[in-house]
Amino acid sequence: MEKLFKHTLNKLNRINRPCFTMRFRLVIFLILQVFIMLTSIIVILFITGTFSAGRNESKKIIHSELKHSSEEISERYGILSVQAVEFSEKLSRRLEEYLDENNLTFDNLRTNPEEIERLLAQVYELTFHSLQLSSCSGAFLILDTTVNPELESSNYSRAGLYIKNMEPNIINSSSPTITLLRGNAKIGRKNSIDLHTQWCLEFDIKDADYYTLPMEAAQKHKADLPLSKLYYWTSPLLLPGTSEEVMLCSIPIIDSNNKILGVCGFEISAMLFKLSHIPNSTNIYSRIFCLMTPMAIDSNYIEVNHSLVAGDYTLKKTSSVNARLQITENQDSFTIYSNQNNDEYLGYHVPIKLYPSESPFQDTRWTIAVMVPKKDISASITRLNIIYITLFAFLISLGIVVSITFSNKYIKPISEGIEIIKSGEPEEAPKTNIQEIDELIDYLADYKKELNKKMEQDTYQISLLEEFADRTKTLSPAERNVFNLYIQGYSAKEIADQLFLSINTIKTHNKHIFSKLNVASREELILYINMLKEIGKEL
Amino acid sequence: MKRKTFLMILSLTIPILILIIVSLFLKKESPVTINLWHNYGGQMKNLMDEMIDEFNTTVGSKEGIFINVTSISGSETLHEKLTMAANGDPGAPALPDITTAYPKTAQLLAEKDLLVNLDTLFDQKELESYIPRFLEEGRLKDGGLYVFPTAKSTEVFFINMTIFNRFAKDNNITLEDLYTFEGIRKASKLYYEWTDHQTPDIPNDGKAFYYSDSLFNYTMIGCKQLGFDFISNHGIDLDHPTVQKVMESYFLPATKGHYAIFDGFASDLAKTGDIVCSTGSTAGVVFLSPSVTYEDNTIEPAHFTILPYPVFEGGKKIALQRGAGMCITKSEKNREALAGIFLKWFTSPENNLKFVTSSGYLPVTEEAFEIIMLEELKQIQDPNIKNLLPVTRDMQKQYEFHITPLIPGIDEMEADFKKNFNKSALDARESYFQAK
Repeated sequence: MEKLFKHTLNKLNRINRPCFTMRFRLVIFLILQVFIMLTSIIVILFITGTFSAGRNESKKIIHSELKHSSEEISERYGILSVQAVEFSEKLSRRLEEYLDENNLTFDNLRTNPEEIERLLAQVYELTFHSLQLSSCSGAFLILDTTVNPELESSNYSRAGLYIKNMEPNIINSSSPTITLLRGNAKIGRKNSIDLHTQWCLEFDIKDADYYTLPMEAAQKHKADLPLSKLYYWTSPLLLPGTSEEVMLCSIPIIDSNNKILGVCGFEISAMLFKLSHIPNSTNIYSRIFCLMTPMAIDSNYIEVNHSLVAGDYTLKKTSSVNARLQITENQDSFTIYSNQNNDEYLGYHVPIKLYPSESPFQDTRWTIAVMVPKKDISASITRLNIIYITLFAFLISLGIVVSITFSNKYIKPISEGIEIIKSGEPEEAPKTNIQEIDELIDYLADYKKELNKKMEQDTYQISLLEEFADRTKTLSPAERNVFNLYIQGYSAKEIADQLFLSINTIKTHNKHIFSKLNVASREELILYINMLKEIGKEL
Repeated sequence: MKRKTFLMILSLTIPILILIIVSLFLKKESPVTINLWHNYGGQMKNLMDEMIDEFNTTVGSKEGIFINVTSISGSETLHEKLTMAANGDPGAPALPDITTAYPKTAQLLAEKDLLVNLDTLFDQKELESYIPRFLEEGRLKDGGLYVFPTAKSTEVFFINMTIFNRFAKDNNITLEDLYTFEGIRKASKLYYEWTDHQTPDIPNDGKAFYYSDSLFNYTMIGCKQLGFDFISNHGIDLDHPTVQKVMESYFLPATKGHYAIFDGFASDLAKTGDIVCSTGSTAGVVFLSPSVTYEDNTIEPAHFTILPYPVFEGGKKIALQRGAGMCITKSEKNREALAGIFLKWFTSPENNLKFVTSSGYLPVTEEAFEIIMLEELKQIQDPNIKNLLPVTRDMQKQYEFHITPLIPGIDEMEADFKKNFNKSALDARESYFQAK
């Protein structure tokens, strides 16, 4: 019986011995579960496009910047164009008034340089106020005359006035930020403004489209087009002898007799453009920039040297390596702008209108583009995705730690239960408070009790059988013969036939056998015999 | 159990560490934009653009720095902009990371605790390579270095030789006469009379010969040459006989039209032939126009000669040390350090040489000065700069240099002095010619 119990325990022990422990299996299952869950989340994020959100967000930002910049620039240039028209009208009136008052014609000025100086001095105030009122960096007027027609260079020299605000971005400033770029120095000195460091007396109009084009347009269209359709915006250019790029809006000055007196207009300097139109998202993309450029409809490149750039990124380097940006448009993604140096920028561009319909210059298209260096956008997207991946790695690590902890916690009472069982005293073990384990321990305790009880019963039965076997030794030889045949399974009648005895003789033997072996019937006798056979006892 | 805890901590910390490293790495990918204000406009703009471009594409690209110029103003405008920004006036722009500034402006900013003490960004060994008196000028409150010497200058004498030669031919005047203020005064009288005689039908239309870019500096240095400190802790003493003597030396010829009275730079007057010579900053050399444009639009080429700063007879050879330096404004430590990298690059001998040989500024390191004099002088394209550098080198050896004392209110004193002097001289001139 003892052996039987140990055998049961050994079986239990063998459960603890396989290659994989329950704890290990549980950890693996839990980790697998974590993996499956996180993988499912990643798949869902992929399907819902969360991983490309960085790129989409960049597109949205650049689109919104482009919309804002193009609207702002359109509005600014539109207002400045209107102000240029007003400036021209006022100048024309003032010039006519002066000439009338002094009994002069415009052509008389050619032989009267003092009058040119006086005339320009007269219109200085108007020019200064027009500059102050408009959000630009300079105002100018060029008269179709020169102070010295005798000079060789007089064909390309024109008298005029050009005043420049060196700090157009400062709202209030008491210091003299206005300088005289072109015009008689006396006018500047009289009005307490310094000469610009690159001052000249007159305008050099050789290759000056800001002078020739509006003059030609006025000549051609002065009868059929109003003044408001004759203004012209130049590409960014360097005026002869100057260092800063400017964009000029110039408009003819036409008197009441339709005589063209010259041109006037406003200037937007590269610095003013740069500081006025810096995209707002510099906190996201520090090198985002906005660019304005003239561009033909079917053109697929941007001439950087003919562009104004605003933003923290100086695209316009002094070297000519990146003078042209090739445009590669993509249906669903950013437009790519690349230069010969293989620098790539991503962004978008839109055309803007600077001229009204019927303008002689309406075929000149202007484009506003907002771009970011490609590596900045890639870095931003990669950063976002690395954050996601690191977050997943973190969650997986956390999942592993949690799996190990949970498995330990889960397996601990089972291990304790097994230890209790191993100890062989389950009935005396304290409760683990885990229902299933307590039930198992209780079951094992009950099982042990029953086993003990059975063992006791078995011991009693064995002693009865041993007593029975001893008594068989008291049988006489004749009775023994009969008994042996009973062992072999013969019935009383068969025994009578075998021994050639009468049935009555057999009954008499039976009576003696029953009496000697202390059994009440043949059935009881057979039962003993069978039980002894079962335990392998020889009779 | 300890092992398990360690593993758990490790598995939690590794991803966090990866995250930090990755974000640091990515941060470096995107360069930091450092805004710069400077006063090198006009003819010097291209040089600055080139140098900044070079920095951005070399050291800047490597270190993650992008220098972005957001203002190019004249010195006075820059002073006003910085003052407005420092006071937070309405409409004032935000302070840049780096700005050029004169010590007087820098002092104002330093007092408001807006500037970085550059002693924290440069070590002793680095500072030793700079010319000590240039560094000294940038040491303001508590002896801290707030203005880094990038473009130092002194004052010299510029003369348009095209006009002077014409004048000297008819008069007994040589360049040697112009080494003293007394000689200049004598020449100016002769020049006025000479020009007046050229139009006999118009009386009193003689032209001015000389103009000083800063009458305040003229008086201060004149007094110093004659052994008196024009500026003391109590302010300026206009009644002192030496001051009177120096002021009269300008006032009297100015009254007679021999010297110019003007509220601007000499280069303006020189462009139109309204003066022949001037004293002013060496930095003014790039603004010397290669031609003179007269009222009838005739243009005459102008060749200049540069002489050392004139001295009053009996006085010591003393000239002004001036020029702006660069300051770094307080922001994040990282930005300040990156701005410091630009300053180091900009003033390194090879870059300082490039800057100096294309401008009228003096080298800020002794090494750069030596290289120029020995090797670079022949390479310099601009004839005026080529003339200027040996003169300044001689002055370095022969002259003492005086720095304007930064007493409170010096700025206003200078402005008032100039305004009152000009007004008095103009009034006196009017009376003089009316009486004539």
